[in-house]
Amino acid sequence: MENKKAILVRNLKKYFKKVKAVDDVSFEVKYGELFALLGQNGAGKSTTIRILTNLAVPTSGYVEVAGYNVLKDPANVRRNIGLVAEKIILYDNLTAVENIKFFSRLYGMKDSLIKDRTEKLLKLLDIWNFKDMLVSKMSTGMKQKINLARALVPDPPIIFLDEPTLGLDPVSTKHIRDFIIGLRKEGRTIVYTTHVLHDVELMNVDEVAIMRKGKIMAIGTLNEIKKHFKKAEIVEIETDRRLLANEVKGKIVEQEDGYMKIEVEDLDQFMKDITKLNVRIRSFKTLEPSLEDVYIEISEGNSPEEQSKTVSAKE
Amino acid sequence: MRTLDIAWKDLKTFLRGKTRVIFSVLMPIIMMIMLGFIFPKTGGSYSGNIGIYSQDLIFNAKVEKSVSSTSENKMIFYDSRQDLINALASGKLIVGAIIPKDFSLAVALKRPVTMDIIPNPANPQAGIMMSQELVSMLGQQDAKNVKRNVQSKLINADGTHFNYYDFTVPGLMAMIAIMSAMTGLASAITRERELGTLDGIMVTPVRRGSVVVGKVLAQSIRGFVTAMIILVVSWLFFGVHFSGTSLLWTIFLLLLGTSSFIGIGVMITSAMKEQETAMISMTTLTFPMMFFSGVFFPVQQMPKILQYISYIFPLTYAADALRNVITLNVGWSFIWVDVVVLVGYAIVSSAAAALTFQRLTYD
Repeated sequence: MENKKAILVRNLKKYFKKVKAVDDVSFEVKYGELFALLGQNGAGKSTTIRILTNLAVPTSGYVEVAGYNVLKDPANVRRNIGLVAEKIILYDNLTAVENIKFFSRLYGMKDSLIKDRTEKLLKLLDIWNFKDMLVSKMSTGMKQKINLARALVPDPPIIFLDEPTLGLDPVSTKHIRDFIIGLRKEGRTIVYTTHVLHDVELMNVDEVAIMRKGKIMAIGTLNEIKKHFKKAEIVEIETDRRLLANEVKGKIVEQEDGYMKIEVEDLDQFMKDITKLNVRIRSFKTLEPSLEDVYIEISEGNSPEEQSKTVSAKE
Repeated sequence: MRTLDIAWKDLKTFLRGKTRVIFSVLMPIIMMIMLGFIFPKTGGSYSGNIGIYSQDLIFNAKVEKSVSSTSENKMIFYDSRQDLINALASGKLIVGAIIPKDFSLAVALKRPVTMDIIPNPANPQAGIMMSQELVSMLGQQDAKNVKRNVQSKLINADGTHFNYYDFTVPGLMAMIAIMSAMTGLASAITRERELGTLDGIMVTPVRRGSVVVGKVLAQSIRGFVTAMIILVVSWLFFGVHFSGTSLLWTIFLLLLGTSSFIGIGVMITSAMKEQETAMISMTTLTFPMMFFSGVFFPVQQMPKILQYISYIFPLTYAADALRNVITLNVGWSFIWVDVVVLVGYAIVSSAAAALTFQRLTYD
């Protein structure tokens, strides 16, 4: 099961008249993986998720979810997936339990099983005490927890989480994030879209794809992507005196007294230069670019590879 | 200035919805044209067969042969009251008259006498007009005397007093039930779409057909409950009577009438992305329907072309069957055509809705 593909997308295109919402996208997700799909608003993440969840038809391309073609075998696709979309999928005039029961019954589940799983999940999400509260009276954080439970009670092996922490306070965000990490440990396949890059780094996702204007601009593990997009070494150095700008070659990012953060093109040359200076080095370390650095670079179209071609960080 | 900003924003957002704008333009056009042409300019032509059931043996012996039928209005005599009612229900007659036992004697003695007139519930105006003419036709030899002493009383088949409400109630029941279901449908599908809960349903393995049938069922029940309220109000405040059989038929026809239209409603609302657009489009469709389908104005009084149009709408059949059942208290043999058409509408439109639902709700 581990090496089998939970999701297979090949040359997927979705055009709305002249707008290319998804433009020749290919990727795959293995069972048990946590796959993050990043990108600005309008990058094509949600449209991709809608196609994968059988809510939209592709213009062209091949999509397989849980081993089933989304166009030819949609019922089997839907039997294997759960969706937490941008909009909270709950009825305001129903209670938490009523909502979960309604949606779970559509999967053909027995009431006793729904009851057991609802109790387990709501307790796990620390929201069991509110099971009989109307959704309209709940806070956004509570609603999102119920929404997660709603998608998980049918126990789908593949779950799509489209911006699940959107609009949540930091505490609720952390709860949801920890819960998703727990889901991953259970072996569930998760496709996760977000703007919150911090979440992606904390969740230690298996693979990341960054979309821009309907295309995947980068795909790979977090380290692979960071490494691939590293234009220069970022060096943090602390010396016994303030270094002058003309003493070192590089772009100074930050400087305070003896501390300096600098982007250098050639680390060896930088080291040679620094040893020639009459300074005592107190500390020295090289920094990886953050996901945010890479993300902004891609989103703004500043990456060197930005010539409308998809970059596989694994290459 | 802020007021103007708000007004401008409202208009601008309205104009951005193309379908909404199209239906908003269409609605007044349809309404004006429809209301302009639906009523006959000359007051209508009241022609058709007149049914007579006479309990007066002298009248039968003498008058039956002497009364004249005109080319437009033919008199047909029946042997029983039920035969007369059946002929009305089957649409053979425009009006029925019941000649009382002492009719001839009263006319001869110049005593007042009352003749019961049963208008055809599908076209009561014509019946009412014809009843005046009928008095003259019956007393051609002594017109002055007959006119002075013969009174006509408009009654229903069960003998209760007839008023125009008896004509409108069955149509109104069907119309309110259908409109209630249609309004609910706009909310049930388009609102769910706006909220995102429709995605929640569509992402489950449930069959699309089941979603449609579920929606149809819920709205049919909603329409039915509304119809039941109308039924009780009609009985309590307007003296509309139901026998045991006619009540069962009424309940069945209201449920069927509502179901017959919901499939069409599902298709329209599934294609609309905004609730407001769905509401406008449903109103554009249902509002003219109540005029075309003879709820307020008899279909038979409309110009021929509009009469043909009226046969498109299921409400026409629902209202017709309900009128026969409620006003004339007749059953299956007189309403089977209406029932078959309504069942056909329900099956075909629901099947079409089930088949197109997925495509219409897809992005």
